[in-house]
Amino acid sequence: MALIDVVNLSKAFGPKVVLSDVNLSVEEGESLVVLGGSGTGKTVLLRNIMGLLTPDSGHVSIEGRIISQLSREELFQVRQSIGMCFQMAALFDSMTVFENVAFGLRRHQKMTEGQIQARVEECLGLVGMRGTDALKPAELSGGMKRRVGFARAIALKPKILLFDEPTTGLDPVMTDVIGRVILDLKHELGVTTITITHDLKSAFIIADRIALLFRGECIACQPPAEFRENPHPVVQQFLRGDADGPFLQDPPPPKRKEAHA
Amino acid sequence: MVLTFFDKAGAGVLKGLDTAGDFAVLAGRTFAAIFKRPFDGKNLFRQFQAIGINSLPVVILTSLAVSMVFAVQLAFGFKQFQAEGLASQVEGLAVMRELAPVITGLMLSGRVGSAMAAELGTMQVTEQIDALECLATDPIHYLFVPRLLAAMVMLPILTAVSVYVGYWGGYLILVGVEGQSAYVFGNEFYKLLAFRDLRIALYKAFVFGMIIALVGCWKGYRTQGGAEGVGNAPTSSVVTSSLWILIADFFLTKLLLV
Repeated sequence: MALIDVVNLSKAFGPKVVLSDVNLSVEEGESLVVLGGSGTGKTVLLRNIMGLLTPDSGHVSIEGRIISQLSREELFQVRQSIGMCFQMAALFDSMTVFENVAFGLRRHQKMTEGQIQARVEECLGLVGMRGTDALKPAELSGGMKRRVGFARAIALKPKILLFDEPTTGLDPVMTDVIGRVILDLKHELGVTTITITHDLKSAFIIADRIALLFRGECIACQPPAEFRENPHPVVQQFLRGDADGPFLQDPPPPKRKEAHA
Repeated sequence: MVLTFFDKAGAGVLKGLDTAGDFAVLAGRTFAAIFKRPFDGKNLFRQFQAIGINSLPVVILTSLAVSMVFAVQLAFGFKQFQAEGLASQVEGLAVMRELAPVITGLMLSGRVGSAMAAELGTMQVTEQIDALECLATDPIHYLFVPRLLAAMVMLPILTAVSVYVGYWGGYLILVGVEGQSAYVFGNEFYKLLAFRDLRIALYKAFVFGMIIALVGCWKGYRTQGGAEGVGNAPTSSVVTSSLWILIADFFLTKLLLV
């Protein structure tokens, strides 16, 4: 049995179908990267896995427990084994970095203040953010916020880590740093991860398997080497990063020759 | 034409019922979450401070101003019938029964209810409420409950402060300006009042506290649409809670004065 099973998952908002019969399964310790254009339902997929959204049909199960059928208490129990890293970090802005990372520990673990301090230091160390405990989120850069978000997500020692576009809006160097942090977390903690990203470079480094969502459907899910060779025109267009092809619903503006001259 | 009218009216009724149902469900979940663990004393204390202590200046100033202007009106009105002595009695009645709880409720719906809506609204659009959910924390328990408890405790206390300030507001005008005897004012202010009147005022404040916290949190929690949504939430919270404070005041007065 896979650790995470997404079975025939469909979700629509009004007339707009965002996910349509998506099937994915992630084994324990595996790292799945989900690629896809903007608005193809990648974040909606993660929110269904976390139980923040309820599927219209199909289901998500974690360790055999169907998320949408759990009571609130059972859902909170499952969520303690999942760490979610939000696109814009979603740090609690009224709290310091230390309080953010310690939040889950204080609510769910019977730990002394000394133990909490040690665990927070350890988590911040893992993401290269040691010494920032007293800062407020407003004093951090985008990349630092994401890393503190990672530290908060790993504080409760989850089995699963979900990353929602962790590199969007960052410069190439910080993108590489975040990619390395994710890789480090994967190797040091041995967690199962699902990462949503647009960044192909880090995707190929992080992934054991890569899935591509296209118009709400999962059109490929295979190891990086096979994914690179996948003949599907959408996959190839996405890998080339070219505007011409079947990927866009509306035709792109024509190339201007003068621009190259 | 007729069909369109019924269509629109029906849609409006359904939307209204939907909104009322949503509020009722969230309010019910908040009351149910009061006794759930873990108990977050630090968070509750912070709300006591934000709702109670920090609201003292505004409650004192508005109570003083309203009681003074009311005393001026009463002194002027009763003077026309050579019944100046009644002014302090009516002042006491008005301050205790209506002015203190209603003014405190309305001021706090503006000061505290709007702040709750803005804070929770910002948390909603920046995914901080989703982050709470993902950290296995019920936002209703963590965000709504401390605010509700603090408002239900602090509104009656602030209303008692408002009554006390109202006494001195009346004193300043009727004794200080109109030249009535301080001893007579002290006795007359309470003449028409019974302990029941204080109890009714505190009951009202308790209900107003509930309205302010629940509406403020609900409007913030349901914020959608980025900056515009966050901007609308406090306004909507103040309008809704003020309206419900005035409606509740009427029914509570009718019910409790019997």
